[in-house]
Amino acid sequence: MSDFKIKAGLAQMLKGGVIMDVVNAEQAKIAEQAGACAVMALERIPADMRKSGQVCRMSDPKMIREIMEAVSIPVMAKVRIGHTVEAQILEALSIDYIDESEVLTPADKINHIAKSNYKVPFVCGAKDLGEALRRINEGAAMIRTKGEAGTGDVSEAVKHITIIKKEIEDAAALKSEEEIAAYAKQLRVPVALLKEVLELKKLPVVNFAAGGVATPADAALLMQLGCDGVFVGSGIFKANNPAKLAKAIVNATTNYDDPAKILEYSTDLGELMAGVSIDSIRDNERLSQRGW
Amino acid sequence: MTTSTEITLGVLALQGAFREHIEYFQKVIESHPQEYSKFTFTFIEVKTEDQLRRCDSLVIPGGESTSISLIAERTNLLQPLMDYVKSENPIWGTCAGLIFLSKQLKNGRVGQKLLGGLNVEVTRNAFGRQLDSFESPLDFSSFIPDCHAFPTVFIRAPVITELLHDGPTESKSESDSIFYSQNNYNNKAPIEVLHSLKNHGKIDHELIVAVRQGHILGTSFHPELATDDYRFHKWYIDEFVVKSKNKSTDI
Repeated sequence: MSDFKIKAGLAQMLKGGVIMDVVNAEQAKIAEQAGACAVMALERIPADMRKSGQVCRMSDPKMIREIMEAVSIPVMAKVRIGHTVEAQILEALSIDYIDESEVLTPADKINHIAKSNYKVPFVCGAKDLGEALRRINEGAAMIRTKGEAGTGDVSEAVKHITIIKKEIEDAAALKSEEEIAAYAKQLRVPVALLKEVLELKKLPVVNFAAGGVATPADAALLMQLGCDGVFVGSGIFKANNPAKLAKAIVNATTNYDDPAKILEYSTDLGELMAGVSIDSIRDNERLSQRGW
Repeated sequence: MTTSTEITLGVLALQGAFREHIEYFQKVIESHPQEYSKFTFTFIEVKTEDQLRRCDSLVIPGGESTSISLIAERTNLLQPLMDYVKSENPIWGTCAGLIFLSKQLKNGRVGQKLLGGLNVEVTRNAFGRQLDSFESPLDFSSFIPDCHAFPTVFIRAPVITELLHDGPTESKSESDSIFYSQNNYNNKAPIEVLHSLKNHGKIDHELIVAVRQGHILGTSFHPELATDDYRFHKWYIDEFVVKSKNKSTDI
């Protein structure tokens, strides 16, 4: 499992940082200069994918390569859930992290990728403890909340991190071996993995917030709820002053527990992403319903 | 009457794996209660100048060196950190922390600042991308007693490519531009190479991965990720923090 330490280790180095969605080299440079600890290279940001109604796939490697050449921070890219070949392509490209993402159209409705088979580390989305542990059991070295990508509505990310925390707390109250084994069975994960969580009182890998983060206050809120760092998707480059907002979100993620500083970072940011409220999206259109 | 000497050890907490360091230091103290009974240790996260001022020693963790530098500058911590480097207080940088402490840097980014405490040139991402990250048991017994096979983890790691005994060096080519520290501090202590990798991969020359220059220590790797192995952190406390404290309280 020594490989796993290298994979999970990179995620540990990203902690306390902001990972930004970028669609070209120019945006990647803005993100790097703003202090992003990594970028997620993708052709269309989730807000645009959501509108398009089309099948969304892995981005063109040409565009990902241009971003890898433009910045010196780690570069991540997304593959469809269960699409092992897209993952093989990204590994061949020497990407630093793969996001097996519900934002793209799933390629396999039954299985996620067997992530332990790859040398490149994976991050996966989760709405609850069971989902997080199933992904970790498949080899994910980092977890993020699913949130509801492309909305600018932070409430789903808040919901997912709150559920994960609550479920870990409840599980910690389990006393007997039988109860623990039964809960592991219910979550469809190995007992040993559940026991590791009970001992640590948190997930055994880094857990970032993602989905709907649009302001410095959103980022600080999720940090206060216990997330290790923040993914920002559509929020930054849908705002009218991306560089300024990107810096403000980075600063707020570092100083998440200092209201006076967050006040300063939240002031005069110009027009932000308009967004879509989660309640206006029908259940079957929610991206977080993808994956299981 | 027994009096306890208070020692505050800070870990720069702007971005990166700072909690891991604090956890490791706590484990060292908890597992050696007798040995450290003369001291009361406090470990703090450092995000402000006030917190920095309280520290008898500072650790700069791994993370993204560009993020740490940019955030330090924007939160008005860059100058206080440069001043801190000039003090005699022990400082240890791991990975990104080593980069931040260096005098000059290759493969840096525009706007990236250096604290200039170690008179070395560091090359960022020297091994390549994440796929080139690796783990390797190294023999540190030459400077840590009986520390054989210490499990080191190198993640997109930098290496020390030049010891600057005679001040900064010039860039050899346009494409290989060097970033220089703007700190006028000049560490007068000798530069000691603590460890270098020999025959790593296909690289035929030695790669320096741990140096010490007086009160400052720099490592390319992450002792804070060595599962359940706290020997490196204990050595830092004993060799740097406690010795420095004893020296200052003896006077």
